[in-house]
Amino acid sequence: MIKRISAISAALALATFGFIVPAQAATVEADCGKATAFCIGVVTDLGKVDDKSFNQSAWEGAVAGAKKADGFAKYIETTDSKDYAKNIALFADKGYNVIVTVGFLMGDATAAAGVKYPKVKFIGVDQFNASTATNVTGLIFDEDKAGFLAGYLAGYLTKTNKVGGVFGMKEVLPVRKFGEGYVNGIAYAATQRSKKIKSTVVYHAAGDNAFSDPAWGATTANQLLTQGFDVIFGAGGSTGNGALGKVAQKAGALCIGVDTDQYYTVPEAKPCIVTSAEKKLTLGVSTLIGQAKAGTIKGGNFTGQVGLSPFHDLASKVPAAVNVRLKKTTTGVLAGSISTGFKG
Amino acid sequence: MSETNVDKKVVKNQSEESRKKFDVGSWLIPIVAVLVAMSLAAILIKLQGSNPITAYKSLFKTAFGSIEGLGVTLGKSTPLVLSGLAVAVGLRAGLFNIGAQGQLLSGALAAAWAGVTFDGLPGYIHIPIALIIGAFFGSVVAGISGFLKAYRGVHEVITTIMLNSIVMAVADYLASGKLREPDQFLTRTSEVAESAKLPIYGNLPSGFFLAVVLAISIWWILGRTTSGFRIETVGRNRHAAWYAGIPVKRTVISAMLISGAIAGLGGAVETLGITYRYAPAFNLGLGFDGITIALLGRVHPIGIIPGAILIGGMRAGAANMQFDSGVAPELVDLLMALILLLVTAPLITRFFKNSSNKSMTSGWGN
Repeated sequence: MIKRISAISAALALATFGFIVPAQAATVEADCGKATAFCIGVVTDLGKVDDKSFNQSAWEGAVAGAKKADGFAKYIETTDSKDYAKNIALFADKGYNVIVTVGFLMGDATAAAGVKYPKVKFIGVDQFNASTATNVTGLIFDEDKAGFLAGYLAGYLTKTNKVGGVFGMKEVLPVRKFGEGYVNGIAYAATQRSKKIKSTVVYHAAGDNAFSDPAWGATTANQLLTQGFDVIFGAGGSTGNGALGKVAQKAGALCIGVDTDQYYTVPEAKPCIVTSAEKKLTLGVSTLIGQAKAGTIKGGNFTGQVGLSPFHDLASKVPAAVNVRLKKTTTGVLAGSISTGFKG
Repeated sequence: MSETNVDKKVVKNQSEESRKKFDVGSWLIPIVAVLVAMSLAAILIKLQGSNPITAYKSLFKTAFGSIEGLGVTLGKSTPLVLSGLAVAVGLRAGLFNIGAQGQLLSGALAAAWAGVTFDGLPGYIHIPIALIIGAFFGSVVAGISGFLKAYRGVHEVITTIMLNSIVMAVADYLASGKLREPDQFLTRTSEVAESAKLPIYGNLPSGFFLAVVLAISIWWILGRTTSGFRIETVGRNRHAAWYAGIPVKRTVISAMLISGAIAGLGGAVETLGITYRYAPAFNLGLGFDGITIALLGRVHPIGIIPGAILIGGMRAGAANMQFDSGVAPELVDLLMALILLLVTAPLITRFFKNSSNKSMTSGWGN
């Protein structure tokens, strides 16, 4: 009896002085909603967290962010675009601290949820945030910079002096930024090389399938190939991927991917893919989660990093001198000292 | 040879008799199908390392456990009741209308157009006008297939399924062009005027009650009116119907027109009650779910209602299920596919020997 009492009091003493409770435990799911917990919810757009594209990159960012912040991350996969608000509410009502929504289609729902749940921090991936709310932050990218670098590299790699691009629809701002940056990057390379390089970019006619029309992408890429274009940038969901796949079938032709390192996500493009104009989505999401944890997240828009992916199998196609120039240009473009010429 | 004929006759006589009584066996089939499908899916959930009981509990508690949840469930069920009803009317006339999806889409877009365009009308005029326009366009799309079937002998499965693609392309073209909401780049129409929005009572969407009233009316029309009798007769045996003096061609066309109008109304109710605008992703699969629901409801206008509520409830609870148990929301699609398989395959029917073993789909070969 006395033994037991002393054991209990010893335990109590330890607990009181904080010897038993670890200083900073990683949050477990059951704690979400408590003051000490840090929970992150990800709501995907139509599509899965292993889609090898935006949803997956955002989820990986949330996992990385949760790990750093000793938090807990969880996702819901949207199956019906009418359910955006409902799925966001599932996390918000359970007291999650940060909610990440993926894709520009969720912009309206995210802004509305920001008003409804003022205590929750929202991160809208690829959503330009026009509101002044301090709890909603849009994660956007300078696609024109990524496009410019892709164009610059293409301008140095072309042997026929003809460089092309196959894009999703022009009405979508990021697509146009990629496209115009690309053309200007080609022109920048042409000036440096004092050569005439022809650049042709083709946009998909507006429509529901602008980003899901691989057949059109392949046909258009084929037209460019038969006209002697030897480097082609495919940017626009599976429409762009269709173009990449077509270029891969032509020996000697090169292609450039978009958004994520498509060497990994479009295996059929491996023979031609020299790089991808990448938006560092995972890094952007985890950085913003870190800010949310530290309480420094500001709202408005946060510009994530962009850049070119590694050359992988085709590193031999890029001469060392070109690589040196590319690095220099990359530094200049990212710092803003070299203008991409995108006017909006 | 002769023996089997006799056997068939005996079976037929038995089934005729049992139909006169309340046909318990026939209604047990869908219930057993749902239970078997859920048990099979439970095994799959278990194999994935999740707890099926937690998953199902979360699924059904969300869908039916609160008045808010019930509101969402009934909202999701509404277009399913109507698309199920549309498919059922076709089946009663011996027509397999696979085109409910396209008819529903055209109704959804037409209602969105009417909801935006006729701004300024009072609600009690605006709503009926928008609904009627939606139903009309659904009817037109189905009418094409009806006409081709009646006068050109083109099978309705082929034409309705092809019209699905045509309607989808045309609707998206219009929503990204002429009917697009100005000053933004998304493929969608403007939001409909306040006066065109279907009222919500408490949490319960008024569209659902409209759908139920329509289901009861169709049940009455099929069972108690001359046109209903014509549809049923043509569905059972068109040659006999022709011999009895029923205008088969006209009946086929009018059955398709009614079927299409109901599907179009389903789209219109979805636009005016839930989405308030047309966007391409909003109506995915609603028309195709109608086929499952029609068969689950034994092609009976009233039987469709519980079928639609079940499927609608599962759709409403899927996200919570993933939240609580980690089971992917596609489980609902898996369940639907299993149910459809079990309802249509004669697997279960064999256990209920007394039930009427009537074929629900006589579309092919007619």
